[in-house]
Amino acid sequence: MGILGRVFRRKSKKQIPQSDTHLYRDLLTNITRVKNDFGQSDDLTVNSFKWNDSSPSICASLYIKSLVNTETINSLSEEISNLKIKDNKSRQALPFDVLRAHFSGVRTLKEGDKYIDLYADLLSGNTVFLLHGSRQYLSIPTESTEGRSVEEPSSQTVIRGPKEGFTENINQNILLVRKRIKSNTLRLENLSVGNLTRTAVGLMYIKNIAKDSIVREIRDRIKKIETDSILEGAYIEEWIKDDRYSVFPTFLSSEKPDSVASALLEGKVAIFTDGTPYVLTAPALMVEFLHSSEDYYHHYIIATMMRFLRFIAFFLTLLVPSFYIAIATFHQEILPTPLLVSIAAQREGVPFPTFLEALIMENTFEILREAGIRMPRAIGPAISIVGALVLGQAAVEAGIISAVIVIIVSITAISSFAIPNYEMANAIRATRFAFMILAGVIGIYGIFIGIIVLTLHLCKLKSIGVPYLTPIAPWIKDGNTDTFFRFPFWVMKNRPFGLHGDDKRRIGGEYTVRKNKKGNQEFR
Amino acid sequence: MILMKAKAIIPVLLMMLFCTGCWSSREINTLAITICLGIDKTDEGYLITKQVLNPTALAMQKGSDEDPVVLFVQKGENLFSALRKIATESPRKMYNSHVRVVVLGENLVREGIKGILDFFMREHEFRTDFYYVIAKNTTANEVLRIFTPLESVPGVKLYLSLENSERYWGITSAINSIDLVQSILADGINPVLPGIEIISKAGYSEMENSNDEKRLQYTGMGVFQEDKLIGWLSEDEAKGYHYIIGDVGNYVEQVYYNERDQITFEVRNSQSKMIASCKDDKPSVYVEIETSLNIVAVEGVLDITKQENRKVLKELLEKRIKLFCEKAQKKAQQELRSDIFGFGEVIHRKYPKLWKKLKESWDTEYVKLPVHYNITVEIKQAGQISKPLFMKEKK
Repeated sequence: MGILGRVFRRKSKKQIPQSDTHLYRDLLTNITRVKNDFGQSDDLTVNSFKWNDSSPSICASLYIKSLVNTETINSLSEEISNLKIKDNKSRQALPFDVLRAHFSGVRTLKEGDKYIDLYADLLSGNTVFLLHGSRQYLSIPTESTEGRSVEEPSSQTVIRGPKEGFTENINQNILLVRKRIKSNTLRLENLSVGNLTRTAVGLMYIKNIAKDSIVREIRDRIKKIETDSILEGAYIEEWIKDDRYSVFPTFLSSEKPDSVASALLEGKVAIFTDGTPYVLTAPALMVEFLHSSEDYYHHYIIATMMRFLRFIAFFLTLLVPSFYIAIATFHQEILPTPLLVSIAAQREGVPFPTFLEALIMENTFEILREAGIRMPRAIGPAISIVGALVLGQAAVEAGIISAVIVIIVSITAISSFAIPNYEMANAIRATRFAFMILAGVIGIYGIFIGIIVLTLHLCKLKSIGVPYLTPIAPWIKDGNTDTFFRFPFWVMKNRPFGLHGDDKRRIGGEYTVRKNKKGNQEFR
Repeated sequence: MILMKAKAIIPVLLMMLFCTGCWSSREINTLAITICLGIDKTDEGYLITKQVLNPTALAMQKGSDEDPVVLFVQKGENLFSALRKIATESPRKMYNSHVRVVVLGENLVREGIKGILDFFMREHEFRTDFYYVIAKNTTANEVLRIFTPLESVPGVKLYLSLENSERYWGITSAINSIDLVQSILADGINPVLPGIEIISKAGYSEMENSNDEKRLQYTGMGVFQEDKLIGWLSEDEAKGYHYIIGDVGNYVEQVYYNERDQITFEVRNSQSKMIASCKDDKPSVYVEIETSLNIVAVEGVLDITKQENRKVLKELLEKRIKLFCEKAQKKAQQELRSDIFGFGEVIHRKYPKLWKKLKESWDTEYVKLPVHYNITVEIKQAGQISKPLFMKEKK
């Protein structure tokens, strides 16, 4: 591991002598070196290749058994044996050019002469050919593509629209997006991040639609990441986020290829991370966390209505408990008298102050939610029984908490689930507690201080240099065809949000069905 | 840099904290929510009667032994001391923001209510949207001691039935603090307040041994001179008053045709316009009333679908409305000598110079003021059937 660590250290200041970094001419020395560097790992397979049993090895193929696809290896072996038959000259050594010529045009080939590259190839599932007498190696991709098949996404479900979800395999994910945008302007850049994990990270954007400056910024930031491991997109998000202290997400994670495709078409950059079914798109704006891909698959009036519901739910989650606390402890006079009478009747005999009562119940809900996620699926129904019966009904009947607070907590909880993005819902739920404390201390006045501070914070936030509240603040006219309202497609002439590069227009030419009815044929 | 900004914001936020008025946290279940307040005059000051909600009784959905409200009665030299003195007998803090109705005893109102109004406008906890009513021929204390049917909280009953009668019986007006103070302060107009009476009738109670035979009912309007009650308008006069000021709700009106057919109407909308005119420094007021009505019932055989019959009905209605108006005018002008209609204000607006001369002697001028009526009536709809149900067709 000592050598490995040294080899993989990127900015190693020590000058390693050339003989140590490059391949030797002698085949056996090379094989021993590789074997030693991998610590005699059992899944490192070395096959030596001889003309006949008595002759010395002239070529060796190396691969890591667990990473390769057996079928590909088998067919590769056949090709090698073909070479044996074709080139039956019983030579002392197989020239590098011959081997390369044999495969060229048939297999993707990569050659190199450094150990460091050789190891990287081996570890990404390639088969490496070492030749006696040659200081170069040849590597052929044979990696296994086994993994989960494409399934319906678990966290972002839709009624109408594609039900494909990303998988853990980055190539599969890229394929899913490429399938949707069949254009040669769709660009993909591969990066690898993490000194130990060497995680493949794909940067995807559409040339001319994405702003060059944004693409450059994201690429530079990812390249600057210095860490040993990237296991999920969230690692990248946390490393390259603009404001690392903010609770609000500034990267939109999506499990759905169609959402990513639509983001790309708006000029965003998608960040694929190998090993996770979540793809990040950036820059992400506040309003987009309340949009759903389904908004575009329904009639625009319906979609607008659903969007409004989500915006209402957003504010309900944030403010309902705090407003209840404020009104019940500070501003009883703003309630209509009959409502005050019924709240007073409910609160009678409850031993806790309203603030404490609300805090207890909101925490109980959070615990229920957390338990619902963490516990084994099989005991799922149990928690709903405990939650609904014990905490709702029994607690009210016992007079420990009032029925109003149960209603308040339920409204908050259900509203928070109407927010399509889970990270945003979490951020709002966390902020809600701050609002509750403010309300408990100084009432509605405190809530308004909170709203002012929150607004200032959101105005300050940036996602890859783009203000978080775009297109509201700063106001961008084209963006507002797709913020609170979802305008019909024929109205959204330009790409929204003002993030696009040179290619601004979305539609050109004539509409298929014109406003002028005379132009349309009528069939009876 | 960020730290600097944060440092700059903190003092601003802190300053904001100290810029507000009073706020303090109080749990709902530590409050005694006052719904209704009664004020009477006694020898040494005021007698306060407070109706306070009893949430325990309201919390139990049905069949509670406890009364929905609790009464607190206290005496004091002034209102505030009497109100505060209740603290000595109440475990909960008195909370006055939800007072819906303030009942004023008749003897108090006859002596003047300026001092009371100042207190209610000044004290921060009282809102200005509650209604004032006068306990006619009785004390506020008596009125508040009567528990009411349908609405378990008597104070809420007073409030709702006042709003209800304003809307559907058209001749009581609900008057809140601001209206009252404005009409006391303004020149050339005097306030009125609705009166409430205790009535007892046999046949109210279903149970033999029940003793809640007493009910509360709004009757008539109290007429003020400045802030003192000087007399009462009867129901007919109150009706006339509302026609003149153009504030009739959905009122009922009926006429007799040929002594045997009674036709009942519902007033849909009635508006009035007071126009001042002046001839040789002698002011007079024209009142234009526009009323639209629907036919509700026809007792008899009058064919209301015929235009000529409708014309007769219109004339009858116009006469009738005029009669009410004149009654009200006569009572207010000759008997009580109080300008409750705001005729003075109308003249003031149109002839400010003339008003300056009239202002001092308005009380005597008002009595002589000629008032002319111009009433237009419109019959809008005849309901779901057209001809009277039992009218025989001529063959």
